[in-house]
Amino acid sequence: MDRVLIIDDDIELCELLAARMNGEGFEIEAVHEGNRGLERALSREHSLVVLDLMLPGMGGLDVLRRVREQSPIPVLVLTARGEDVDRILGLEIGADDYLPKPFNPRELIARIRAILRRTVRVTAGTNPLIVGDVRLDPASREARVQGRLISLTSVEFALLEMMLKRAGHIVTREELTEAVLGRKLGPFDRVIDVHVSNIRKKLGTNQEAERIKAIRGSGYLFVMRVEAK
Amino acid sequence: MKFTLQSLFLKIFFWFWATALVTGIALVVTFIFGPGRVPMRWHSTLTDTARSSGMIVLEELERGGVPAASSYIERFEHDTHLRACLFELNGNPIAGEGCETFASMRFRAANSRSSQFRVQYGLVRVALILPGSGGHDYIFATELPAGPRAAFGMDAAAAALRFVVAFSVSGFICYLLTIYLTGPVLRLREAAQQLARGRLSARAATALERRGDELGALATDFNTMADRIEELVSRQRQLIFDISHELRSPLARLNVALDLAKGGKAGDLPFDHMESDLAKLNEMIGRLLTIAKLDTAPMQVEMGSVDVTEIVERIVNDAGFEAQKRDVTVRFTAQERHPVRGNAELLHSAIENVVRNAVRYTTVGTSVEISLKLEDKSRLLLAIRDYGKGVPENDLGRIFQPFHRVAEARDRESGGVGLGLAIADRVIRIHGGTIRAENVQPSGLKVHIEIPVAEPTSLI
Repeated sequence: MDRVLIIDDDIELCELLAARMNGEGFEIEAVHEGNRGLERALSREHSLVVLDLMLPGMGGLDVLRRVREQSPIPVLVLTARGEDVDRILGLEIGADDYLPKPFNPRELIARIRAILRRTVRVTAGTNPLIVGDVRLDPASREARVQGRLISLTSVEFALLEMMLKRAGHIVTREELTEAVLGRKLGPFDRVIDVHVSNIRKKLGTNQEAERIKAIRGSGYLFVMRVEAK
Repeated sequence: MKFTLQSLFLKIFFWFWATALVTGIALVVTFIFGPGRVPMRWHSTLTDTARSSGMIVLEELERGGVPAASSYIERFEHDTHLRACLFELNGNPIAGEGCETFASMRFRAANSRSSQFRVQYGLVRVALILPGSGGHDYIFATELPAGPRAAFGMDAAAAALRFVVAFSVSGFICYLLTIYLTGPVLRLREAAQQLARGRLSARAATALERRGDELGALATDFNTMADRIEELVSRQRQLIFDISHELRSPLARLNVALDLAKGGKAGDLPFDHMESDLAKLNEMIGRLLTIAKLDTAPMQVEMGSVDVTEIVERIVNDAGFEAQKRDVTVRFTAQERHPVRGNAELLHSAIENVVRNAVRYTTVGTSVEISLKLEDKSRLLLAIRDYGKGVPENDLGRIFQPFHRVAEARDRESGGVGLGLAIADRVIRIHGGTIRAENVQPSGLKVHIEIPVAEPTSLI
């Protein structure tokens, strides 16, 4: 049974969600305030956090920032409809996906499942992926660049894994969205792009060249270094 | 009406008065102090007149000495109000008062031994040498009346100078006055135009308010009015935003509660209805929030380079399914591509709303025609034409207002929430463009969207 932490100040909504999600095999812990939410999110007792960005007191974005400083736990943020800035900021800070509020609970459950599926599946032992100076070990969930350990969120890890597996080939944004977030790519869906941009920043450049190339209109490509002959 | 020292009434009054006065004074000053020359043709008669008076003075001098001459000059001055003086050749005054006024003329007459003529203070002055008996010479200086012609008719250059002075002095003062009066009116007008164009923060400059006259008071009143309008509008927008915002929490709970009550079952009629209504409410609130957001904080919209052709192509593609259901063909003709500075997501939803409306309202079996072209290399013209019933003429302007319904029954049946065109209107306006609708013959509605094209330099 997956333990999910919900940080939302709407107490009744949390109760309803707990009742609804219990039926789907989730165990829900609800916290209605930012500081306490941060404390619980860092307790390592949950497999996923649902975080409302419109929290009173310590705002949702602050909670997210502080969580990300210490933990790669998957975070799904609830944003206000029409608040594009919050949505993009949330993803840039390290949220794995977002859902505008009010939402359909089935949609919420589907997205939580999609994220958890990634996290659970990769723990099944596979061989490390090595492309150039980037090394990804799905078994230990460790990513290294030139031997230096970098911290990736679960979605970022899954994205990089997919691109490394097909290094040198284009992976479309549709494929990435479906495989990593478990849903169809929307018309102005920039979630994947924000995640890729975060990964780029964490990987840094390789001799002044971007490791991940954006192919306009189709997707992304992890560059295989051509060795000088 | 209160006439304070600052009042415009007094300002205009005094300015005009001052103009008249200063022009007059300038004329008098040039008239008096501008010494003029005396035309040659007047010399002989003036000399004769002066000489005859001078000879009498000399006779008096020789008959009764200085006192007799003095008393004659005194009588002369008393009768004619003209000054006269008798000098010795070396310059000592013999008879007459205030003789120093002729000093320079006397000096020149003695040196050149010829008659001297000047025009000053509107009078002709003559100084001439008179031979006395016994070979002793004297100098006689006197004023003679010359009439107005001395001022104007005698010397074309002097007359021209006076005209120039009158023109330039009065012209300059009137220029300053006009600037002073019309400048603030123009600035106030600019502020009013900005306000009318929807920039609610437009105000008259505070420098204008500090003037303290009627124009200053007008500026203050204008600013008060603008404050009030801005407050009312922003309060109304904030209200819409707050209502939508507050409705979200109960809606979110309702969504979960309904789903919980359904218990995963489908096909339960009342629940299905509730669910579809909830979805509609969600959508409506999302759109209302978009509108409120665009109204309250249009500056926060992220702008980038957008290819409108690409957006329309995608919309035409997506509208295909709905169009097929109604046996409607959507045709799109476009010239070459031009980037526009804007927000792709907003532009997409704006154009999509208009296209979907057209597909929804065009008569079954007809088509929707979309054309995109560049005009004057500065504006993108997008026209969306359907073959429906059109819109009553006096509703044309109002279809862009939120919740305005032209054909209520039909709209409800087709599932619109009455916010699509309102969003389109706001989005296009944020992009500096315009949107308007017109009825076309034989039937149908044509919506024109005009968006300014980005300057090549502003695109990176």
